[in-house]
Amino acid sequence: MEMKAKKKLSENILDKFTIDFLRSQVLKNAYGNDDTVIAKLDPRILIVWYLFLGLVPWFVSDIYFLMGCFLLVVVTTMLARVAGLVLFLFGIGVFSQTGYLFIVTLLFGGDASAIAPLLTLTLKVACCSLASITVFSGLDPDRLSNGLMWFGCPERLSFSISYAYRILPMLMEEFQNILLSFRLRGNPPASQTFWGKVKYLAYQVKTIMHAFYPLMLNTAKRSRTTVEALEIKGYRLAATDKRVKKMRLASLKVTWDDLMFLAVSFLWISLSILASTIF
Amino acid sequence: METTKREAATQSQKLMVFVLTMALYGLATLLTELIPSFQAGIVEFSVEYFLFIPLTLAMLFDPLSAALGAATGELVFSEIMLGQFGGLGELEKFLTVTIGVYVAGRMVKNPANRAMVGVAAITGTGLQLFLGMLVDIMKVQFAVEDFEAVAGLPESVFATEGFAFLNDLLFSGILFCLLPTLFLVPRLYGKIEPLLGMQPRTEKTFLGGINVKVILGCLAAFVVAAGAELLATSGMPLIEWEADWAESSTALAVGIVAAAVLSVIVLLVIKKRAEKPQRAQA
Repeated sequence: MEMKAKKKLSENILDKFTIDFLRSQVLKNAYGNDDTVIAKLDPRILIVWYLFLGLVPWFVSDIYFLMGCFLLVVVTTMLARVAGLVLFLFGIGVFSQTGYLFIVTLLFGGDASAIAPLLTLTLKVACCSLASITVFSGLDPDRLSNGLMWFGCPERLSFSISYAYRILPMLMEEFQNILLSFRLRGNPPASQTFWGKVKYLAYQVKTIMHAFYPLMLNTAKRSRTTVEALEIKGYRLAATDKRVKKMRLASLKVTWDDLMFLAVSFLWISLSILASTIF
Repeated sequence: METTKREAATQSQKLMVFVLTMALYGLATLLTELIPSFQAGIVEFSVEYFLFIPLTLAMLFDPLSAALGAATGELVFSEIMLGQFGGLGELEKFLTVTIGVYVAGRMVKNPANRAMVGVAAITGTGLQLFLGMLVDIMKVQFAVEDFEAVAGLPESVFATEGFAFLNDLLFSGILFCLLPTLFLVPRLYGKIEPLLGMQPRTEKTFLGGINVKVILGCLAAFVVAAGAELLATSGMPLIEWEADWAESSTALAVGIVAAAVLSVIVLLVIKKRAEKPQRAQA
């Protein structure tokens, strides 16, 4: 009975994880939620906010303070309407980092006393990851890279972010087409018995590896075109020119809403500090 | 002309290699998040990563651009795009991937020599995994306070990390780094370079093997990586400072809360006032 349920569950998950699904989730994450409260905020303010919530929890071990931070970032993540896939990966990430460690601790003769430090560690990890999910998934990639540029991040990085979001859907489609053509021409081994299943899996993995051969050649051509197009526009000179940077960053503007966001976060954090001093 | 003949490629060719590696490795790391891992006993079979892509490209093109492109691709595609950016700690992964791929790329003199390609691929992977393991052990030691006090935790960390290293090296390292690299490098050699307008790598155009400078550079990068990771996770003096401060003053906390409430109210009032004239105009 349990086996059956398990099998069904794994089939369900595998059904969902097609490349199409992945593509739509990534696109949704990048461009689908630019009407949320978080997406409208100024990227610079959000990055400052993130620097606080992504770093400070690591240094503090007070449980009330950590709980306060955690609740705050949960609310902002909900406000940012992050795609489901991202949250799913976040859950897996948190468990694999601390839950696994707890189980092994038990194996090595630890007892329930290991829970308290591990709970603090889990809260720290969860708080920092959710803060980053809010900022990096909640913001439009272009706004995000502008914000990073304002803080003096290398031009390469902000170029990579903007480029990545544009090229990824295309690359995924191409990869899928190559895989499909492999599947059309290929002759997969029968997968009825257990040994057959192992062979089938090996075949699948091998196909993915082989698919990178044409993909590499195609992408090489495409990246040459991209770079040559960039060169025509004088990209490498523009990347180092201060005037170009100023023009690009002219669209950024801090409004009262941004300050309000900071003030409310500050209020909440200070309340949690108050709670930690009282109890 | 001398410079164009050597493999030291022009700036725009380096940018091409960077873009190529970034896009491909980014796509691959996104896929890795989705291939399910399965457990056989205590041995976990998971596709740790598709490191063969940057390894292949580093052996064929400029190693530094390929290494940086791979690390950036991973950072942008699988960390920032999926919102799993871990702040300062990401520097560690960035630098270890760069070191591993760069060293592997520098090792190969002639990409047609399969034995050398294989040795370089497994060395690069092993180096990256080993550095990652070292940093991971330090990280857990500093993040959990009373590390020694929790029964069974220190041994378990060494055991899990050491085991994960061996598991990754033997499973992912061979299946997903060594074999595909051996398949791809000789095939792509001489075919992919003209697409970027370059000469294939030969013994003459090769940058020179691993020398003291490369080793020193890698060591320095590793120290930075470990330092960043520890800075991101330790903060020992700050914890003590926090504890002192938390005991003493509820009053101070009340003051902070009052200031926060005040700033929220002031902002609300200012915002209302700022909106009024606009409405009057409209």
